[in-house]
Amino acid sequence: MLGRTVVAYSFVSVPAVFPTIPKFLGLKRLSFNSFSIANAKWNWNFKLYNRKSSTALRKETRASAQPLKNADELIYSVETFIFDCDGVIWKGDKLIDGVPQTLDMLRSRGKRLVFVTNNSTKSRKQYGKKFETLGLNVTEEEIFASSFAAAAYLKSINFPKEKKVYVIGEDGILKELELAGFQYLGGPEDGGKKIELKPGFLMEHDKDVGAVVVGFDRYFNYYKVQYGTLCVRENPGCLFIATNRDAVTHLTDAQEWAGGGSMVGAIAGSSQREPLVVGKPSTFMMDYLANKFGILKSQICMVGDRLDTDILFGQNGGCKTLLVLSGVTTLSMLQDPSNSIQPDFYTNKISDFLSLKAATA
Amino acid sequence: MNTAKRAAQLLSSHNVTSLFDSVEAFLFDCDGVIWKGDKLIDGVSQTLEMLRSKGKKLVFVTNNSTKSRRQYAKKFNSLGISVREDEIFSSSFAAAMYLKVNNFPREKGGEGILEELQLAGYTGLGGPEDGEKRAEWKSNSLFEHDKSVGAVVVGLDPHINYYKLQYGTLCIRENPGCLFIATNRDAVGHMTDLQEWPGAGCMVAAMCGSTEREPIVVGKPSTFMMDFLLQKFQVSTSKMCMVGDRLDTDILFGKNAGCKTLLVLSGVTNQSTLEDPSSTIQPDYYTSNISDCLHLLGP
Repeated sequence: MLGRTVVAYSFVSVPAVFPTIPKFLGLKRLSFNSFSIANAKWNWNFKLYNRKSSTALRKETRASAQPLKNADELIYSVETFIFDCDGVIWKGDKLIDGVPQTLDMLRSRGKRLVFVTNNSTKSRKQYGKKFETLGLNVTEEEIFASSFAAAAYLKSINFPKEKKVYVIGEDGILKELELAGFQYLGGPEDGGKKIELKPGFLMEHDKDVGAVVVGFDRYFNYYKVQYGTLCVRENPGCLFIATNRDAVTHLTDAQEWAGGGSMVGAIAGSSQREPLVVGKPSTFMMDYLANKFGILKSQICMVGDRLDTDILFGQNGGCKTLLVLSGVTTLSMLQDPSNSIQPDFYTNKISDFLSLKAATA
Repeated sequence: MNTAKRAAQLLSSHNVTSLFDSVEAFLFDCDGVIWKGDKLIDGVSQTLEMLRSKGKKLVFVTNNSTKSRRQYAKKFNSLGISVREDEIFSSSFAAAMYLKVNNFPREKGGEGILEELQLAGYTGLGGPEDGEKRAEWKSNSLFEHDKSVGAVVVGLDPHINYYKLQYGTLCIRENPGCLFIATNRDAVGHMTDLQEWPGAGCMVAAMCGSTEREPIVVGKPSTFMMDFLLQKFQVSTSKMCMVGDRLDTDILFGKNAGCKTLLVLSGVTNQSTLEDPSSTIQPDYYTSNISDCLHLLGP
């Protein structure tokens, strides 16, 4: 074509201000008004807005992950196990083999168990019910979902009760906000609202919205995008909070589904702002539970199936990390040269604690 | 690219003549320059007529992928402006051309993109009708997708929904070699005259979020469309002037291609944004709207 190479695209390296990497380390005593978000312009270089930015949080290059051989040693060396849920405990609504016995064994050895999930569709209470239905003995207080994290974050910065929260997400977020005493708008019912782009049509939005919380949303539509965008762009000081940025998720056991990273990406794309991420790999939930239970992070082992959320979360928090291959990550993905996230250990599934333990007994 | 920051000059009687004498073709963005939503901006018809009477070539380069070139020509005509289809370069057309020059067999698209794809001889799946489809997530139920899809084209889509996000994500992640093409990445635009609305940048970023891939962008500021323009008009880029309302697409496109650039303040950019120290993209000239040319140059 025209006898020369067509440059199909060109990103000009505009020396823009890089948006600050959304780190969350620690529960600082911040008031709502003192909290400022860098109003970063959209960076055409597009390197930072994907997960790669989170690897900047890692402090050193790590040795390759070791296959877990001596489960006893690991169990002995920590006081608390933090488990991811999807791909570790269950897949969709199906329990993974050997999970109940493994959790029972750990409890019998005096270990504290905590469950940290980026899935914001349910509240802690609703997750408690899911665990119960699957025959697992887990209480609400042991569960930390990113829906809870969003509400806990707003509480931690003394988000004013007279301000409102616009939610692009599902029921779990709404329930947690309600429990925390915050007013909210949006959620699943906005999924039924339609837009007609006609002359003279103006979408109004509530000027009292002080935060937009975005998470996984199966009822995502243009109405919500516009509402959220208007709040973020036009309400002074409006926060943009993401429950998580997982690209894909195991909604059903059979395949992967577009995850929260998609909805968050959409709002970042139209508002030209980066969100504050409260879910993994941000350490917000880690700091929260360490504070709550009075545990040292070096006494924790994070167990998950996803390198760029679970394992990074554990590493950022200074914990030991164990990758299980019962979820989204395969051995070849772990060992691929392009992968720079190495957990301390890896194993097939958590019930290996039982079988490996038996072997070394 | 010129990285030295030279401040934009206000278009005035001092510089307007030299600009116009040195330019043979004017490239106009549409939203915020010619119209806002479906309302023509004041003085546009007369300005375009004047330019044509002075022998200038007119080209319309828009990132808005919701219409095909044919549909755009209709819009112009309904607003009382006579424009030919082949003077219009929409990002929907650009997407179809990209696939053509790269010889692709099948793809998925949306809105005006579908018509351009059809005109170029491709089969498109998806588009507005998928706006009504719902995904189902039950144990053992599988969301199927066509394994022969070789490209996913993403543009502005007011009918965005989870079904489409999932379909596109599966194609890109699972079909070997599947292309991810974006018509453009504008964050917001004047889809109606009264306010700004999320643009294609939103839908594209949603797909980036779930696929963890960056797209090939065929619209401004990518200079992909320029090659077609050059072929058609046989005018060197130094004799072109890009007129637009957006710094990071229109003006950047012009600068990347080596054209003169004129920013109008009738769209998304205002004077304070232009003059803000953090704004690194400076057009050669700026003015309130294109009818200023008419007043400055005279009839």
